This record gives sequence, structure tokens and C-alpha cells, in this order.
Amino acid sequence: MRLSLLLAALLSVVSLWTAAAADPQPFERGSWAKLREAHAGQPTVIHFWGLTCAPCLVELPHWGELQAERPDLRLVLIAADPLPQDPERLSATLAKAGLDKTESWSFTDRFYERLRYGIDPAWAGELPRTVMIDRGGKVTVLPGVADLAEVRQWLDAQSKSH
Amino acid sequence: MRQLFLLAAVVLLTSTAAAQHQHGKPGSTPEAFTAAPAFGPDGTLWLVRPMVDRIAVLRSADLGKTFSAPVMVTPEPMNLDWGPDARARIAIDPKGGLVVTFGVFQDKNFNGRAYFARSSDNGASFTRPRPITADATSQRFEIAGVDPAGRVFAAWLDKRNVARARAARRAYPGAALAYAWEDGDAGFGDASIALDNTCECCRLGLAFAGAGRPAVAFRNIFPGSVRDHGVITFRDPTTPGPVRRVSVDNWKIEACPHHGPSIAIAPDGSYHVAWFTDGAVRKGLFYARADSADAPYSQPRALSAANRQPARPYLLANGPALHLVWKEFDGTKVAVRWQVSHDSGRQWSTARTVAETEDASDHPLLVADKQRTYLSWLTEIEGYRLVPLGDQP
Repeated sequence: MRLSLLLAALLSVVSLWTAAAADPQPFERGSWAKLREAHAGQPTVIHFWGLTCAPCLVELPHWGELQAERPDLRLVLIAADPLPQDPERLSATLAKAGLDKTESWSFTDRFYERLRYGIDPAWAGELPRTVMIDRGGKVTVLPGVADLAEVRQWLDAQSKSH
Repeated sequence: MRQLFLLAAVVLLTSTAAAQHQHGKPGSTPEAFTAAPAFGPDGTLWLVRPMVDRIAVLRSADLGKTFSAPVMVTPEPMNLDWGPDARARIAIDPKGGLVVTFGVFQDKNFNGRAYFARSSDNGASFTRPRPITADATSQRFEIAGVDPAGRVFAAWLDKRNVARARAARRAYPGAALAYAWEDGDAGFGDASIALDNTCECCRLGLAFAGAGRPAVAFRNIFPGSVRDHGVITFRDPTTPGPVRRVSVDNWKIEACPHHGPSIAIAPDGSYHVAWFTDGAVRKGLFYARADSADAPYSQPRALSAANRQPARPYLLANGPALHLVWKEFDGTKVAVRWQVSHDSGRQWSTARTVAETEDASDHPLLVADKQRTYLSWLTEIEGYRLVPLGDQP
């Protein structure tokens, strides 16, 4: 009895310590469906970025600003580098852009064809990319660096239609 | 009690290992997953493969069924370039001398350094790797080939002029296409810039129009930040010709697509290029041909459909036959598709699947010995495969 109690205590310490790092959630096969389900019926902006994508790193702080400015922005970040990146570097980059509290995922599978196909078969992997999904599930794609004025307009339209 | 400690130790050890896997070396640094082949004059198949932080060369006397123990090219661990379009390569001169080229990252901003190493004892040992050029700014996507006279040519994307422009407070989009020729057996001579402002992170394609006349296919930056493809053919070893645009796809993008082209030159002097684009004019994977270096390119022909993620094309001319492969994905399987042409790329056989996999894979490559052409492909599940392609489909 004493042994199992001690072990349980030890395990909880270990799991706390692991959780403290606040790394992006691993985006694997099936993650897209899970993500869509979690945000279903809510206007959601999904922003794909990457550590290996220079324009993404320039754009990221602007998303941090928009997030601070618009409480109605339900933002999800997905790091979609063609090769899985160090989670610690990903979270450090997001923190610097003011996005450390934002829901965040990262590709952790080298089989990126399958991950991308699950999201959009016609997406060839170029980054950045922003996908806006309204209450009814209607998808608007902004390829490349997003025009945030367009995102603001979309957000305004969402609150009006509510 | 002892049991408890043992159990605790196991819990701590495994969780530490898991944490390390996520947060520290090894495991957190992406690794290159490539295999590049070349046939020697005696029919030996040579393969160069990155192994975590080393470059290894293996040889096969039975067309890839069995391989020798790997011979390390890099004596110490190096921070190898794992970019999706980067690749360690091997070229073989007519005397059987081996030239291995590969890139490393110098820092976290993806500044690279291109290295080469040679073997003159049939792969038993390699010279200590040395940088291809003395300039230390940044080089990536190096490619080397042996011209018909047996001289080794190397080209890469170089950022020395980016640094100069920055110092002079001038804008400099992209990188420069740089090149050097082998200088005796010792190494490469001085580097020259063939063209400024090319796209900076796509692989290069290389073929030879004749001795001293390399032709390099690359993703260029055309006015308006349009990243379409161009080919430069050298008039002589030190005179790069003008950029010939392969196609107007109008892919305006302030980013780096990580998708470089492939080029082949047939014995009749015709040029063949395959490339990926997501342009306003067309999207997907395409092929076009030109009668000569200076002739205009044909209307692009689509390979597959854009929603099958067609990518990573590779062209090879082997005698009168022209081979073309690429990979595509149907939601479950990645397939390598193959076409062959016997009339200088005017007509092609119906595309056929020659290999498949259901997990991560390297780019499909083509390699030829005296008899035939093979698909060379490294995949996570199946490992390395050398698949003979029929001359007729």
C-alpha cells in the first residue's frame, strides 16, 4: 500500500514537471478531426506557421497583437514545418510573439503528406496559411501572409451574424 | 523497499528519457532522411546517406540487394542540413574518384556551409571534409556533377551578396547562384556568382550541354517577387549564359517553397524540365521541353492532379530514353509514378506506379548504369530500394 502511494506521488510529480513546459500539442493523424470538433459551432481562425518559414516569424507578432486586441478571436496555431521541430523552440518563439496562452499544435510526424492531406488535399504545404471557419463550418483560406484587416472584417461579420 | 527504489528509478529514468527526447539532444533536432545514389564505372552502386550527425558512404555490388559496412565521410559529428530539399550527394569521375558533397547548418537561422570530401582509394577512405568555398557567409543546396570531359562542377545558393547588400543598406531578395570548378584533384577553385537574386531554399537541377557547359535549373525570383523557374546554360566554363524562363506560372510568394526543379538534356540537345508551382496561372506539378538551350519551352504539361499532392519530380536521360518520376499521395499511400519518352519528350507513356509506401519517404531519384535506369528511393518502412525500370513501359 505504502509503495503504491509513494509511486503515485512520484508519478504525479513527474507529470506536473512535464506539463510545466507548455509545449504545443502534438498534431498527429486524427488531430484535425479532434480540433475541428472541439471548435465546432464557434468562429475559429487557424493559423499555420513554421519555424523554418521566415515570413511566418515576421508575421507571428502581429497575430499576438490581434489576439490582445480582439477577445472575440478564437485562434488556434499549428506549426506545420515539413520536419518536426524542437517543441521548446516552438514554444519560445510563440511566447516572444505574445502567443504563449493561445491553443497551439505542432506537426510531429515526418509523414507530412498525410497530415496535410487530412487538412486539405490541395494544400502543398506552403506557409504561412490561415484558415477561417465560421459557425456553419464555411471555410475561408488566406494563403501566404494574412491581411489582418481581412481577418478583422471576418471577425466583425461573425459577431453580427450571431 | 529495495523494490520501491528500483521502480522509482525506472519511472524517473524513463520519464527523463522521454523529456529529453522532447526537449534536448538527441531527438529534438530534425534529422536528414535522404539517400543519393551513383554508379561507378565498374558497375558498383554507391550510396551516400546522412546518419543523424554523420555522412556515410555505402557500396553495393549487387544492385542494392546488399550493402557494405558504411564508411564515414565526416570524422566528427556535424550539424547536418535537414532541410526538405537539401541532400548529401555523390558524384563519380571517369577514373572512379568519388566526390561527396553535403551541407551543414552554422546557426539557428539556417545559414549553411557546403562541404565536399574526396576518395581516391575506391571509397576505403575520404579526405577530411572541406568547405567548397572560402566565403563563410552561407551556402546551401550544393550540387556537383561531372561534365563529359570528366571535370567536376559544383553549384550552390550563396548568401555572400546578401551580407554585402545589408552592409550597404540595400535590399537583396533571395540568394545568388554560385559555382566553382574542380581545381586539380585537391579541391574547388574560386567561386563565382552566376546570377543574383534567386530563390533561396529550393534544390538545384544540373545537367550538361557539353564539356565545360553545365546547365542549372533553379527557382528564380522574377520581377514582382514571382518565384518561377529558369535555366542558365554556360557558354564556356566561366561564362554563364542568360536566364531562360521555363514557364510563366506567376507564383508570387514572399516565402520559400522548398520545392526545386529537375532538368535533363537528351543526346539531341533538347532540354527537359519538371517543377512544382502554386502560381496564379497553374498549380501542381508540370513538365516542359525545349529543342535547345536557347529555344522557347513548350506549353507546360500537368503531371497528375493538384489534389494528389504531386511533388519532387526527377528527370534522367539515358541514351535515347527519357525517364520521369515524381511522387503523389492518395490519402493512404505515397506512390512513385513513372513515365518514359522515346521521342525527345514529345510523347510519354501512360504514368505507372513503380513503388509505394505508407509512411515518410525521401524524394524519388533516378540513376542509370550502362544497361538500364533505376528508381532510387528511401522510405521509412521499406528502407532503401533500387527498382529497375523497363525501357518500354
